[in-house]
Amino acid sequence: MTAATDVEPAPPARKPLVGRLWSWSSGNQFVGVLALLICLVIAFSIVEPRFFTVANIRVMLTGVAILWMVSLGLTVVMLTGGFDLSLGSMLSLSGFIFIGFYLHLGIPALLAVILTVIAGALIGGLVNGFLIGRVGMPFLVVTIGTLSLYQGVTYLVSNGQTTSLTSSLLDAIGFNTALGIPITVWIMIATFFVSLFVLRMTYFGRDVYATGGNPAAARLAGVNVTRTLIAAYAIAGGMAALAGVLQDAFISAASPAGSGTIIFDATAAVLLGGTVLGGGIGGVGGTVVGVLFLGVLQNGLSLAGLAAAWQQVISGAIVILAVLGQQLQRGRRPTFDPGALFRRRRDRA
Amino acid sequence: MASDGVLLSAIGMHKHFGGVHALRGADLEVRRAEVHSLVGANGSGKSTLLNILSGQVAPDGGTITFDGAPISFRDPTRALAAGIATVTQETTLVPELSVAENILLGPRKVRRWFGIDWKASRRRAIEIQQMLGAEFSVDDPVSSLPPDQQQLVEIARALSMNARLLLLDEPTSSLTEAEVESLFALVRSLKRRGLTTIFVSHRLSELFALADRVTILRDGRTVEAGEIGSYDADRIIERMVGAAPVPPAGSAADGAGAAPVLRVRGLSVPGHVHDATLSVGAGEAVGIAGLTGSGRAELLDAIFGTRRPSAGEIELDSALLRHGRVSEAIERGLAYVPGDRKNVGLVLKMTVAENLMMATTSRSMRLRTPPRARERAEARALAEEFGIVAASPDVACSTLSGGNQQKVVIAKWMQCRPRILLMDEPTRGVDVGAKREIYRLLGDAKARGVGILVSSSETEELLLVCDRILVMFRGRIVASIDREHATEANLAHYAMGQQ
Repeated sequence: MTAATDVEPAPPARKPLVGRLWSWSSGNQFVGVLALLICLVIAFSIVEPRFFTVANIRVMLTGVAILWMVSLGLTVVMLTGGFDLSLGSMLSLSGFIFIGFYLHLGIPALLAVILTVIAGALIGGLVNGFLIGRVGMPFLVVTIGTLSLYQGVTYLVSNGQTTSLTSSLLDAIGFNTALGIPITVWIMIATFFVSLFVLRMTYFGRDVYATGGNPAAARLAGVNVTRTLIAAYAIAGGMAALAGVLQDAFISAASPAGSGTIIFDATAAVLLGGTVLGGGIGGVGGTVVGVLFLGVLQNGLSLAGLAAAWQQVISGAIVILAVLGQQLQRGRRPTFDPGALFRRRRDRA
Repeated sequence: MASDGVLLSAIGMHKHFGGVHALRGADLEVRRAEVHSLVGANGSGKSTLLNILSGQVAPDGGTITFDGAPISFRDPTRALAAGIATVTQETTLVPELSVAENILLGPRKVRRWFGIDWKASRRRAIEIQQMLGAEFSVDDPVSSLPPDQQQLVEIARALSMNARLLLLDEPTSSLTEAEVESLFALVRSLKRRGLTTIFVSHRLSELFALADRVTILRDGRTVEAGEIGSYDADRIIERMVGAAPVPPAGSAADGAGAAPVLRVRGLSVPGHVHDATLSVGAGEAVGIAGLTGSGRAELLDAIFGTRRPSAGEIELDSALLRHGRVSEAIERGLAYVPGDRKNVGLVLKMTVAENLMMATTSRSMRLRTPPRARERAEARALAEEFGIVAASPDVACSTLSGGNQQKVVIAKWMQCRPRILLMDEPTRGVDVGAKREIYRLLGDAKARGVGILVSSSETEELLLVCDRILVMFRGRIVASIDREHATEANLAHYAMGQQ
């Protein structure tokens, strides 16, 4: 296959998305970041010949796979107006849940993967979701608690040891390609479209936006806010578990060391993508643009030979500036319908 | 110095809020060491006048003389410095801090060369507290005190500032009878010390118990002022609402005699509603009148299920409705247009179409795909029918005007084909044109056989829309008046707790 097919994952993520989300009149906040992403890709391609190559794009995409999964889950939670700090710990724990199913119980790999994702969703829904949605505890308190709790459990079950594993399925997930595209990337594409569908094309997705937009009004209109919150934290837990399995696949082992900072990168990606803290606005379309932006930035800066410390400085500054830009834009336009600026006048007349 | 014992006089006060002319030349004269009562219906300008005196609102016109000198306050601190202190309905205390700290909040603590002299501050707080004859310890956190004691702390704070004029804005609204009595005793004893009080209350009995003189406001103007002894309750009410009775307008009442669809028996919400019993028939419009805080909104909340009642039964079509189950209430045919539209009526960030469909689709399978094209068409039809002015069904509700937002809320519920429509303050914050349209929509719903239970602070609105009006006073339904017999005067009479 040629280079053209190999880079396909990025364009399909952009082309239909922009048009569709735009017409759905909310969540086009990420257009600025998308433009920035395209500029970044062009700039790196010119400056650094190794950047726009099949091999590098493959590395870049699989490099953001874990961030991608966690960010998609986090987006759903943030759309409901909440937050989930425990996703990094959930990820590490899931790595060992998989080990438990696969190595200790001898369950076939594919089934073990599915069970791990289900377990992650159950834990996310029944612990975080229940305490936040049903009991009504503040999400920061709950997820700070479970952040520490899951991490502790991970150390207990692993004895602090990395457990290596060999599984042909996991190796395939981590390193094989299909139609010239890494399996990992196929999984990324699939999760993206499923979450896009759920959020944009189902009543549940509407409940998520209504819960984040105004929980009191949603409840008054008969929306089951409690169930929506529980489901949102379950989705986030399931996605973190999937990320945990991917992690196992990439390093052929489960490590308790965890991914403590993944939640911060994920938050940055979600915010870059135009989903706001407080909920009700945004979507997964923006989030994947945010994830790709962070991935490209890091990848390009590494290729350019910039020290890791400088990469952090630059990506931190860009996150703040990009979100500031969105905020200024929002301040001027309370609605996200691009045509509203012109139509509102007629409204008043 | 002022002669003839006048402490404060405000003459020709004017104030506009946007298009609303809240004060149109109101006068107020308060003598030294008297308890002066300010009365008027909702919207008569009482609160605006008080807010001007306490420096929270700048008047557009008029002159105020305090203690013989003309004053104009730009902010509340200046009013305080001049000796005018306010105690409002909602306390402005810091609940976590101790009583002493609250009494001496801000810069009034005793200072030494470095920092605050806490011992001396505490002694000062105790002095004030003893002057009030209050029982609580100054070291208790304010949050541990019952409401009446908290009010005392507020008064103590006012005294600590050497206030000469105390503004009490409905201080009794959250107090029990006994607490009211002790508050009154305190005000009388402060009067003997030479303190002047302006007292606002909706309860006429309290007025006669406490006030020396009274000023009556109507529509932003002072109607008259005089010694309380020269008034009785009926005369005050007559002056408050004006002598001219409002003729009942609108379509003929046809709901009477119909079998009740909604029946509520003995419904109670602790602290808000006591033992409410009512019924609403098909095509009947029942109003709930009452002062702010009389429990009208809470009663509707409890019927719909957004607030859990502690006792009572709600029956819809002769079958019990479980308490606190909103989606069940919706399915059984209840609809609720809440008073607080911005906060609970709509999800403003979502589109007109999404909001319109939210209630009807609340029982659909959650993983099904909403039929967008059909929804958009339905939204257009609803917009047409209910006169909603929006660029398209896909614009966010935040872009609509208040009146249009309210029509979206009503349309959302009418879409569910309700049996009973509950409404709280249906026209709050909407302009005159939108008001008329909302009344028309209510008329249409009635004609279709929908029973309407509407709570409003605007009496004229209830007289216009309703077949029958219930009056609430302190959480109880104290009267039920047919449209033919209802007048602003007799509604006000019951709403103020007269028998």
